[in-house]
Amino acid sequence: MEKDKNVWEIPYGMRDYLPDEAAAKRALETKIARLFLDWGYDEVVTPTVEYMDNLTRGSSHSLEPHLFRLIDRHNRTVALRHEMTTPIARLVSSRLQDQPLPVKLSYISSVFRYEEAQAGRQCEFYQAGVELMGTTSAQADAEVIALAIESLRQSGLSDFQVCVGQVDFINAILAQYNIDDDTQSAIRAALEKRNLVALGQLVDALKLPDNAKEVLRNLPLLNGGAELLDRAYTMALNERSRRALDNLSEVYRLLKAYGVTEYVRFDLGIIRDFSYYTGLVFEIYAPGLGFPIAGGGRYDHLLSDFGAACPATGFAVGIERILMAQQCQQLPHYSPARDIYVGYAAARGAEAIERARELRSEGRVVELAMMPESREMAERSQQQRGYAELVYLA
Amino acid sequence: MDSQNDYLTIALPKGKLFSLSADLLAKVGITADDLSDKSRKLVITNEQAKVNFIVSKTADVPTYVEYGAADIGVIGKDVLDESGKDVYELLDLGFGRCHLMMAVPKDKKRAKLTDYAHTRVATKFPNIAKKFFDEHGMQMEYIKLNGSIELGPIVGLSESIVDIVETGTTLRENDLEEIAFIKEATARLIANRVSFKLKFDRINELVTNLHEVLAAGEKK
Repeated sequence: MEKDKNVWEIPYGMRDYLPDEAAAKRALETKIARLFLDWGYDEVVTPTVEYMDNLTRGSSHSLEPHLFRLIDRHNRTVALRHEMTTPIARLVSSRLQDQPLPVKLSYISSVFRYEEAQAGRQCEFYQAGVELMGTTSAQADAEVIALAIESLRQSGLSDFQVCVGQVDFINAILAQYNIDDDTQSAIRAALEKRNLVALGQLVDALKLPDNAKEVLRNLPLLNGGAELLDRAYTMALNERSRRALDNLSEVYRLLKAYGVTEYVRFDLGIIRDFSYYTGLVFEIYAPGLGFPIAGGGRYDHLLSDFGAACPATGFAVGIERILMAQQCQQLPHYSPARDIYVGYAAARGAEAIERARELRSEGRVVELAMMPESREMAERSQQQRGYAELVYLA
Repeated sequence: MDSQNDYLTIALPKGKLFSLSADLLAKVGITADDLSDKSRKLVITNEQAKVNFIVSKTADVPTYVEYGAADIGVIGKDVLDESGKDVYELLDLGFGRCHLMMAVPKDKKRAKLTDYAHTRVATKFPNIAKKFFDEHGMQMEYIKLNGSIELGPIVGLSESIVDIVETGTTLRENDLEEIAFIKEATARLIANRVSFKLKFDRINELVTNLHEVLAAGEKK
């Protein structure tokens, strides 16, 4: 059958970036790359394809259906990377062990997840992020949050909110009531989905005093400003849960010094989708976007899963999601500068090359005509191609 | 002009859940003039209370909420589970109670559930049905219908049906018998993931107020 239009399909969840879109994406990535360098983070690049066992190390099995899997020539299962934290943990524990700590690394790259594709959620998408390895200090968690906020500010966004939680607070609360493992994971699943109805049913079935049930039922509603921590302290009955809150207080104090607390709220119900998180976690939301624009947190055991125990924290922002948020917040559409179109009459081609070179060395964006044109034709080309000026060699 | 971010947008389903939802929300002060599922207006706004209502087809409510076109919504648990949408489920509103079940013609009843493996089942809820039969290790042929499910076995389209039942009258009238209970369903208050964070204080207040109204109703 003959195709009536010359449109060839691409696989599910994949997309093309046309020149305008690619330019906006590149400009954003360049800004973020510069920012990461300014804060002392070195870029690393890891392979697109990794052994599946390495990617699933430290994560729960629920991950596997979302991986793009392939079989290599030796019948080993490999997969496209679904995020960058795990590959970087592998890299640091196997190849950067001699580095002085802390190790500060960054990346900007595509990752792949098989999901139902939606606006801002394709199967291949781009992430920028950092990993800060080798310290448990609150200073590290604060820096990572501040840098995530700065990435969004540099992208021109002003309207967004950071929600900070502490996985260990929830773990400690569940532990303080001696809840069995199965129920704990069911409660965690209900918390992750914020299914308050299911959580209520699970809690009702427990043999616990009413005030304890009230605490558990309220976990997903622990959302508020700095004053929320005071409320949470009244629920923290063991040393571990108090330590988790102390950590949040300390990070908040440091975020004040960064001058970013206007963006920050606490949400102690946050459970991130990767099971390797162990401490402070955060997500950033922007109005008009159905998904977090960025997220991250502390994962102190992931590197020991690769045989080199090392505490770590980090974050990733979704490049497409920033681009969408820019649209939602009606920021001017990025368009690359187009300064000068150089046209020329017959036999002036060599001079035109020289003229274009000069102009470019002055920092102008210059397009050179690919064949001799009359002045009228050159003017038309200049306008059609969107250049501000015409230089014509007659 | 007010920004849309100051408004709480609520999706309500047309049909039997509509007036129950609207009445309940009115009790906590969330309502609007000419709020009706017969209205020609697609978005009904109460500028004073800063609320927008979207009245949509039942099955579309989870979609509006998942995409954040509506911040919160009211929807039956049956439709919510069938949609598989990624939304937060905040409150069991208690009304619209029904249950999902499997029924077969009385005269063609087989000894046990697994005797129906590899037969055809007509349903408006293929996802819930598939989950149920998968859990019983049964492969089935799912025939998606959009209404009058009970017609399936009568006209020889299927051996059984999976559908919601409130009173059982329809089953009896069509000589069908319930042979397996799947799950109970009531109306739920759902919220968009991001709205829940960005408009937390308003949504939390609403949930708390609704909770009180519902608890008071139970005591009566």
